[in-house]
Amino acid sequence: MKKLLLGATALAVATSMGTVSFADAHKSYTIGISNTVQGNGWREQMICAMRAQALVEGDVGNIIVAHRNTDSAGQLEDLNNLIEAGVDAIVLNPSNPDALNSALEAAMAQDIVVVAVDAGVTAEGAYILSNNQEEYAYLGARWLFEQVGGSGDIVYMRGIAGVSADTDRDNGFKRALAEFPDINVVHEVFTGWQQDQGKQQMFDFLATGIPFDGVWTSGIDNVIVDAFVESGAPLVPIVGADNAGFVQYLTEVNGLVGAAVTNPGSVGGAGIALAVDILNGEAPANTTVLVDPVLWENGTDAGRATIMAAQNPNLDPEWPVSVTVPGWTDYTMEQIIACEGPGGS
Amino acid sequence: MSDVIRKNAWVAGLVALLAVLLVVTKLIQPTFGVSGLESIARAALPFAFATAGMAVVVIVGGIDLSVASMMAVCAVAAAVLMERMAGVPALLIVLALGLVMGFLNGALIVLTRVPDIVVTLAMLFVWEGVALLILETPGGAASDWLEQSIRGSFLVPGIPNALVVTIICVAVVWLPIRRSKLGLSIYATGSDELAAFRSGVAIGPTKILAYSLCGVLCAFGGLSLAALTGIGEPVPGPYLLASVAAVVLGGVVLGGGRGSLLGPLIAVYILRIIRTILTLLAFDPNVTTIIEGVIMVGVVMLGTAAMMRGAQQ
Repeated sequence: MKKLLLGATALAVATSMGTVSFADAHKSYTIGISNTVQGNGWREQMICAMRAQALVEGDVGNIIVAHRNTDSAGQLEDLNNLIEAGVDAIVLNPSNPDALNSALEAAMAQDIVVVAVDAGVTAEGAYILSNNQEEYAYLGARWLFEQVGGSGDIVYMRGIAGVSADTDRDNGFKRALAEFPDINVVHEVFTGWQQDQGKQQMFDFLATGIPFDGVWTSGIDNVIVDAFVESGAPLVPIVGADNAGFVQYLTEVNGLVGAAVTNPGSVGGAGIALAVDILNGEAPANTTVLVDPVLWENGTDAGRATIMAAQNPNLDPEWPVSVTVPGWTDYTMEQIIACEGPGGS
Repeated sequence: MSDVIRKNAWVAGLVALLAVLLVVTKLIQPTFGVSGLESIARAALPFAFATAGMAVVVIVGGIDLSVASMMAVCAVAAAVLMERMAGVPALLIVLALGLVMGFLNGALIVLTRVPDIVVTLAMLFVWEGVALLILETPGGAASDWLEQSIRGSFLVPGIPNALVVTIICVAVVWLPIRRSKLGLSIYATGSDELAAFRSGVAIGPTKILAYSLCGVLCAFGGLSLAALTGIGEPVPGPYLLASVAAVVLGGVVLGGGRGSLLGPLIAVYILRIIRTILTLLAFDPNVTTIIEGVIMVGVVMLGTAAMMRGAQQ
């Protein structure tokens, strides 16, 4: 019993010593970060972009990162802890648009700025900064439909049914489809954003022998190229995201005509920049800010040059290769790779 | 008085540790107060019910790996039902659903004689699938009164409603049984199955009852998830391993037969407050889980050593 108390006291002393790092944060903001998926390339890039942007923002003295695999109840716990820690702003990637409102409303009631990146939240007054998913799908689909000459059969490989990013992308895809009346969707599947599942689905469809002229994928892309190559089927134009693996294929696979549409995880960095702007009284007029994607095609010289320039051997192969968001982020490639925030956090 | 403390040394140690941690939190963050206590009590809700359920089956000598999945089923069922019908009948249906799931777990274990860990591992996947069948993507809506019931404080600020709800729900399920012959049977079965059988304890029904109780407590856990988020999420949260951790930290012997529900519940609050402290200190999130694990094993080791020394004297 005595020992138990002794141990607890030692723990208390050890933890209270950690507070020293708080004290030297002068005239500056503390930003809390909350994310519920750990170990995914896109999310890790997002966290590193947040750290790097916080480092280069002069006004940010400290960041507190709550980054773990958990459910909405766990994210609520993290958000409430960040509120208790007295942060000035919270930048989060929400696990669900509706589930977090109680904590977000409590935060805003204490004048804490709330910025949701990547996906929206329904709490009134929260800012939302995300990639424009509708435009993402529209850009890629329009390019694909033009590639196949304005008429033909397309395989449409979506993400997860019911997820807002998938619904938005579907709207963009349908908008492009409406502009090309001679394009026909010959096959529509949900990949669940799983590499193995998407690859198997492409194998299965190739095995049916039904002819088609192009493939639109919702980011499960390099494995689709693999499926063509491994089954010996002639390549058709393929649209994917700017994942390092697919971008590399665009420069290396013989006979592959394709395009990558950017979907940077670095919107996280843009979220930090937005939060600082709002804290400094420069809030945007609209609470929803969309980052527009860019399309890189390997068919033109200019497109090829962009793709070559974007590749970096030091980059994690699972990261999207577009590591910055022009007009929003200020860090360098080295800073995001270093993944260090202010105060070494 | 000292006799009571000696008999409940482990629980007393946990209470002392919790008190120390609360003081540490206050030292780190001087503004930590009523709202902080309320948010810790709310965060602890699903963990507390999962842990209480797990503790009951561990005491009977088993283990239930399907607690998080059963909670997911109950959370989505609650969110779907409460969107369509009155809250109280929906709540009763969800509790009955938990009872049925727990009963099935127990009945399968007793009837097939397949080890608990295998049956409940299989049922983990079954209940996970059932949750997805009920609700493919997060949705539904919990009743307003359910969401309000866990917010704010009870009578005096500083006694969070969420804590009161936890204590009442666990007490209503567990205390009448603990104090009856059934409670004795549960401890006897977990302590030594053969000896219990020879003393006339109906082993099978006792086990099934323990698993059914676990199901009901998981139903409360699912309801608390719906109350926290306002919706139902079909994918199970991180409650399985966390509940085993709290049961061990709470002084329940994994072989069965010894321990109470009070220790594990206090352990839940200790684990939640440690996370709060680590967040307040802005620890690297990748190190946080390591620290949580080290603290846990450290406390159990220190506690065991202290108990053994106490026994020798």
